[in-house]
Amino acid sequence: MKWMLTLVFAVLVSACTHKVQVETKEPITINLNVKVDHEIRVKVDKELDDLFSDDSELF
Amino acid sequence: MNASKLLTTIAAACMSFSVLAISLDDAKSQGLVGETATGYLGVIKGSSEVNKLVEEVNSKRKAKYQQLAKKNGISLSQVEVMAAKKTFAKTAPGHFVKVDGKWVKK
Repeated sequence: MKWMLTLVFAVLVSACTHKVQVETKEPITINLNVKVDHEIRVKVDKELDDLFSDDSELF
Repeated sequence: MNASKLLTTIAAACMSFSVLAISLDDAKSQGLVGETATGYLGVIKGSSEVNKLVEEVNSKRKAKYQQLAKKNGISLSQVEVMAAKKTFAKTAPGHFVKVDGKWVKK
């Protein structure tokens, strides 16, 4: 009886952890992509600012 | 001897930069050149001097854009679009920008 309870409990716990992992994986990846894209945009924007500064020969 | 030669070269380079900057500003305020939506300068009223200036500035811009694109893993055209937005925003009142194929005084 004790053995069966332990087994059922183990199965339940492992099933739960699996479910949680699958659900959290996708949104995290998407958020990361957006963040990188935004960071590059800000970085390039700042470097263009430097490129076209007032004492620049290019602007 | 070598040091003074180097110094002369540096001084000459600095002077040529400032001359170029003045003539670019002059060309802008005289309405000879303006900013286009591609991120590069455009000729409004051409002369050999103006054409040479525009060509020179644009090739230097392109080199910088390419460098920026490579460094950040994006395409050249993406950098050009961002640069065009920037140059339009930075263009002083009275200078020209090209909107929908027409030169407009800002």
